Amino acid sequence: MTAGRTWMKWAAGCLTLAVVLGYLYDPPWMGGVTSGLRGWEEDPPGTLFRWTTGRATFFVPAGATTMTVPLRAVFPGPNGTPVNVEVRDDDRLLANVALTDPDAWVRPTFPLKRVAGRRRFRRIDLRISRVVGPFFLGIMTGEVVVR
Amino acid sequence: MARAVSNFVVAAALVATTAYATLYGSIDAPPPIHSDGYSYFVYLPSVFIYRDFTLERLANEWYGGPYPAYTGLRRWPSTGRWLNLHPIGTAILAMPFFLASDLLSVWSNLPRDGFSLYYQHGAGIAAVVYLLLGLTILRHLLRREFSDGVVLATLICITWGTNLFHYAVFDGSFSHVYAFFLVCVWVWLVEAWWQQPTLGRSLAVGAVAALNVLVRHTNLIFALVLPLYGVTHWRDIRQRAVDLAARWRPLGIAAVAGILTLAPQLALYKWITGQWLVNAYVTHGIEFSFGSPHLLAVLFSTQKGLFFWSPILLLSVAGVWVATGPTRALIIPAIVVFALQTWLIASWPQWQFGSTFGHRGFTDGLALAAPFVASAFAWSARHRPTVPWIAAAATAAVLLSIAQMIQYWIGVLPQADTTWAQYWDLFLKFR
Repeated sequence: MTAGRTWMKWAAGCLTLAVVLGYLYDPPWMGGVTSGLRGWEEDPPGTLFRWTTGRATFFVPAGATTMTVPLRAVFPGPNGTPVNVEVRDDDRLLANVALTDPDAWVRPTFPLKRVAGRRRFRRIDLRISRVVGPFFLGIMTGEVVVR
Repeated sequence: MARAVSNFVVAAALVATTAYATLYGSIDAPPPIHSDGYSYFVYLPSVFIYRDFTLERLANEWYGGPYPAYTGLRRWPSTGRWLNLHPIGTAILAMPFFLASDLLSVWSNLPRDGFSLYYQHGAGIAAVVYLLLGLTILRHLLRREFSDGVVLATLICITWGTNLFHYAVFDGSFSHVYAFFLVCVWVWLVEAWWQQPTLGRSLAVGAVAALNVLVRHTNLIFALVLPLYGVTHWRDIRQRAVDLAARWRPLGIAAVAGILTLAPQLALYKWITGQWLVNAYVTHGIEFSFGSPHLLAVLFSTQKGLFFWSPILLLSVAGVWVATGPTRALIIPAIVVFALQTWLIASWPQWQFGSTFGHRGFTDGLALAAPFVASAFAWSARHRPTVPWIAAAATAAVLLSIAQMIQYWIGVLPQADTTWAQYWDLFLKFR
């Protein structure tokens, strides 16, 4: 193989890598990606929710200025203490929410700062203070409303 | 034909990529890391993301303390520390893919939690890559002795006539495709080491044998290929002992490399249990019952019988009788390893190995079966009237295996305990 052809192969490889990385920096499907969330369920009819584990992640549009996340503890914390949910927006602490009534849906609305970068979506992470076995359930999260 | 052999790995890569994308390509597809795959993989996020080799922090963050039962992680009674059923070898081999997934997660703003999108696909892609690397080495080994037609037929039979492809694509997070790769490397290395035991080869022999033990402890039996390679009569054993004694220095180097490779696992066992060597299944109350093995069931039953689900491997049995040339050097090692492997698997209380397609206990050693499948094809090529029959039988066996693999993937075939009645009722049905 000639040196020219080798060089061409390397150049093509580097170019492909650059294009792939460029695409993966802000892929259009990122809004549908989640982690630590089970599938959608419905209870009572008309109320959609997903169970978290100890951590959960979802994405909302970068241009959103507020976000409302329905949260319900279902199981109380140890000795009846509240279940705490830490909410982060692209790694920045947004709020700590204490769920004191296990049966009540809480719908906190969070103001979202303007995103400096060029991404289409911002990452929202939830960290839940307690998880209940045997199915390792954190809290119920409902449909997120963004404006 | 030579071109087809040269392009085989590329073709296998295309088929594997297509199958993987179909199974796991959509956003809401099930995660590639599942079942046993979780416990093989869990070392990586625990060490690199949660900075904790004890596995404690990950359990607290995700599950509020205890790991789910399906993961097989249990606390060792006397110390309360987490003991994983599965050793660290698969995680070591998957590590480059995990680290790439981690970097890519940062780049794409995905959570660095160890289980989000790219970590899942990193594990899935790793399995496909190890399949392709293993097939590349196997092709190299076969090509030196067999014609292009025989090599191509053998590679197709091993890839799709057995459950190897399934364990690279569907259950890629399990250990089996990693062990397949290591056994391919091992056979190649053993041959090279007997030709010339250089320092590099001796170090590699020790490291690869130990890494295979770290992937699956019972894979220690593959180490026997080294002393038995080239022994073609049982009466040669004494001379082989003399040959090995003469190579005490390279063997010592291999032993040191092996012990160093095993050291992290041994240290982990010592820290968790206070013992250097542990049967992790003790925490589940499972131990071998060597006195009552399910030999016939393991080999021939509808549940998970090796030859029932991968009938193409019957050619490897025939190949032992008709092997000529360099493959004869592998006859006794392969027989000894296969006999021990069968006895070990058959002596395990859960001899079906849970939910599996075919018998996954044998997937690791397919590289040792391949030269004998090739020998059977080569014999057939020398006896022309048999060619149509062997070709038809092999094609039917491979197509049946592919059809049954797809049945398993789409949930038509039971995951275990398949009865004869169930098998016939579901035969070639896809819904």
